[in-house]
Amino acid sequence: MSTIKSLPSPDNPEEALAAVVALRVMAEQLEKKAVKEAIAQGWSWSQIAEALGVTKQAAHKRHAASIKKKS
Amino acid sequence: MFKRILLRLRDMKTIATLISEADKQANLSGEEEPGVEHFVLSAIELPDGSAKRVLKQIGTDPEEFKEAIKKQYIEALNSAGISHKCIEDDPEPIESKTLLHNSKPSGQALMKALHAFKKEEKDSPLLGMHVLVVAASMKHSVAGRAFKIMGIDTKILTDAAKDELASIQY
Repeated sequence: MSTIKSLPSPDNPEEALAAVVALRVMAEQLEKKAVKEAIAQGWSWSQIAEALGVTKQAAHKRHAASIKKKS
Repeated sequence: MFKRILLRLRDMKTIATLISEADKQANLSGEEEPGVEHFVLSAIELPDGSAKRVLKQIGTDPEEFKEAIKKQYIEALNSAGISHKCIEDDPEPIESKTLLHNSKPSGQALMKALHAFKKEEKDSPLLGMHVLVVAASMKHSVAGRAFKIMGIDTKILTDAAKDELASIQY
């Protein structure tokens, strides 16, 4: 994963907001992969929720269907 | 009167197809809920074929829309100094079991705008090209940016849609 070297200036909202959307897409893809790997490594939904800073219900609701599909 | 009832029934069927295909497009992109860009992808695939014809009419390839979405993410990440490799080429599709789907706020905004737009055109059926015209007016959305990447001018698109509508017999 690359580190962020520079961010578009908020003075240019067109570019800055487009970057926010792209970063969100990237973060969601990373979250899905990481949760899948965490489950494979034996993490509980409580641990995943704690790591993501969300409730266990929220983490389960968001990811359980796609995890079950693969197992 | 009878014609208007038939038109309304036809529109309801079109809306059901549009939403269902938008859900499918979102899930194929690994996303739970469809945004405006997924509604455009859905409109391009609607059986009436008008969205495809209008895009071809103005000299663009409808198949390029999906690539234009990806391209805008890559360009935006590059502007933040992040490699394009951080975005998956083929995100893993998700299988949603939800029966009644919600849309992302941009998808909801599109449907609301589409409703208002159709109120102005009561005597014509809802077609894929209507979705294109409304989505193109959302210039700051993912779809709006994708149209910009494809070099689509909103005015030219709207005019081509009007020509297409005039040529359709219904």
